[in-house]
Amino acid sequence: MEKFILLIPAIPVLIAFLLIFVKQKELIPRISLFLSSMIAVLGLYGAYYVISKDTDIVGFGGLVIYNQLSAILVPYVAILGLVIRKYARKYMWDEAGYKRFFILLNFIFASIYLLVMSNNLIVLTLAWQLMSIGLYLLVSFNVGSKTAVKNARWTMYIHKGADLVFLLAVVLTYKTFGSLDLVELSQKWLVMSEHAIEDPVIFVIGLLFLIAAMMKSAIVPFHIWLPYTSEAPTPVSALMHAGVVNVGGILLNKLAYLLILAPAVLNIAFVVGLFTAIFASALMLVVSDIKRSLGYSTVGQMGYMIMEVGLGAFSLAIYHLMVHGIFKATLFLESGALIKYARHDPNIPERLSYKVFWAEKTGHKSNQTFYLIALFTIVPVLAFVGVKILLTDDFFEFNAAIVILAFAWLTGTQLFLSFFKVSRSDSIKVVVALISTFVLVLFTYEFIGLTFEHFLYGEDALLFYKAATLNVTMLSALVMLAVIMTIGWLFMYRQHFVEIPNTDEKPSRLKWLFYKLLVKEGFYFEIFKSSKKGKV
Amino acid sequence: MIANVVLFLLAAGLPYYLLLEKSKFFSSKNIFILSALLLLSAIVLSVYIPNEHPVSLVIISFVSSLYTIYKASKTTNFYRLGYYFIFINAPFFILFEEKGALYSLSLLVSLIGIYLIGRFYEKHYGSANYLAVKGITLATPYISTYITVYLLCIALYPPFPNALFFLDDIFKSASYGLWLFVVIVLFMGNFFLAMRVMEKSLFGKPNTNIHYVDLDTKENIMHLIILTVLLGLSFYGLKEVLS
Repeated sequence: MEKFILLIPAIPVLIAFLLIFVKQKELIPRISLFLSSMIAVLGLYGAYYVISKDTDIVGFGGLVIYNQLSAILVPYVAILGLVIRKYARKYMWDEAGYKRFFILLNFIFASIYLLVMSNNLIVLTLAWQLMSIGLYLLVSFNVGSKTAVKNARWTMYIHKGADLVFLLAVVLTYKTFGSLDLVELSQKWLVMSEHAIEDPVIFVIGLLFLIAAMMKSAIVPFHIWLPYTSEAPTPVSALMHAGVVNVGGILLNKLAYLLILAPAVLNIAFVVGLFTAIFASALMLVVSDIKRSLGYSTVGQMGYMIMEVGLGAFSLAIYHLMVHGIFKATLFLESGALIKYARHDPNIPERLSYKVFWAEKTGHKSNQTFYLIALFTIVPVLAFVGVKILLTDDFFEFNAAIVILAFAWLTGTQLFLSFFKVSRSDSIKVVVALISTFVLVLFTYEFIGLTFEHFLYGEDALLFYKAATLNVTMLSALVMLAVIMTIGWLFMYRQHFVEIPNTDEKPSRLKWLFYKLLVKEGFYFEIFKSSKKGKV
Repeated sequence: MIANVVLFLLAAGLPYYLLLEKSKFFSSKNIFILSALLLLSAIVLSVYIPNEHPVSLVIISFVSSLYTIYKASKTTNFYRLGYYFIFINAPFFILFEEKGALYSLSLLVSLIGIYLIGRFYEKHYGSANYLAVKGITLATPYISTYITVYLLCIALYPPFPNALFFLDDIFKSASYGLWLFVVIVLFMGNFFLAMRVMEKSLFGKPNTNIHYVDLDTKENIMHLIILTVLLGLSFYGLKEVLS
């Protein structure tokens, strides 16, 4: 019975095939929804089976597996798929190519399920490439739009690059380790990790897989495809930001045991992820286009995800990608509904958050920047140390957790500031909101993050942290945390609380250059255009 | 050695289309048919003759392949594109030795599809040139689907057989510097050309000055037969690559 679960990747293909013969437009989403709900049911049953029996479901000669990772991700993707299909049912109704859309949507879901459930590097390669082509056809869905087609072309170039790098990594893995079975390879890598190995080939393999993951997950410098694909239909954007970009994290989780053998790759992942997180988050605040802003927000979150992998927190990356996926899909799907309301009402629909944080209040002004900064940096650090002292010594099993928490806190504050657009007069509410965000992140990490970790990797998780250790002492980590928070807060404060100057004072040249760098999105397109003309 | 040279001339040869394109007696349609027949002969012969080419022949075919990529990037004609793709992929026939024939066969099947599309364009739009007949995804969905499939096949995307035989070959071949270089260049070359055609033919707004015609039942059946052959090859390719 449980073997039926392994048919999950075939169900969307079956749906797509059935849809070809459906003549009535109303039936297209109904069939798609009904059969894809079966995937969700099968996925949940599979999760129950894996958790209750504590065993994996393997089939098709070991090519496909339903393990702990699948038990988490398949139901997530299936439920996300249901929501997207349900939304697309009405949203896409008037678009040309309604049936084509549902067929393509099912194909890309099939490739995601296959990727998650693959236990063989060949199957993984096939799913990896299928996803590229599915994405290309969906991003260019609006075939009449030149910009949509152009952006789809860029997306495809980067994804083809990822396919090539991935292929080279797989060939090299096969030639080095003599197997394509992921379970077998993981066991082999685990045994190898007991002794110190310095093999440049393993480093190259790890690096190639990391680059492939970076390309698909829109990590700098391969990020440019994501912010520019927002012209795709809203359900596609939701799928892209909640599902497709996550494959980099999923791939690195599947190869976690390989990366123990190549700690340098983990360190590179940390640096690249950290840079992406900061750079893309800064760009998010500066770009003028709201869709691109959302795109850069996703790039920043993917940076965090890769950074977490670089710190050895593989399971946290999975948790992060799921939470971010749900959040971003909600944002994209809600935006469509909001536009609909806004067409009838010139004011943005009022919400609780609007009333609490945004509504204009006059009569009270405070300008105590210094106290606020002190409060925002010292209170969380004190709370952090307090919790650390109160609980056991191994509350944080690695110092780098502090860096993750700092960034999680910064993201939370950024969200509050960006989406609720707090005004200066509401500073006390902002303080409460920011501190509560931090507390929420802290406890979520502790309870859910570590539960994930135990479920996915058990005791082996410690090996990842050990491999990724940056040798940071607790004291220096705390200093780092305080510095990051101060810089982050100052940056956000200046972004959102900036006063309109009364004098004609010009900004300094350095500040102006920095702003120009961000506004021009790192001069990415200028460099490309210059090189095209042969100037560079 | 002579047998290998014969195989090389049949499958890759020197780019004889350079001479034939200048001749008034050979249209691009005829050049495609001739090229396809020569490749087919090479595929059949390679069953009887061991396909083991020296490196020098690989280099020659690779250089001609690079030149053909350049030529293919300039054309907007389906027939020309057909025989250009034969020459672009010739180094794979040589490099992949025993498996090269299967790769070339699946390429040939997809190119026959492209040829039929070219014939359809010639019949309904006056020439096999696709540049003016834009936006067919919305206007003529059947023909757009077939073009997409053939081009994805050529661009080496699974689950189509070209990609599967390619995968099988790269796993089972002994790799070396030149091998790696040729494989990477042609992997990307096929992709860029196929994407270029896809973008210029499938996408865009339909031209209001053109009366768009989609495939009739007979033509549909012919393309379905090609798809079935590709599907069969895909199953075989999958079996091979997973074995």
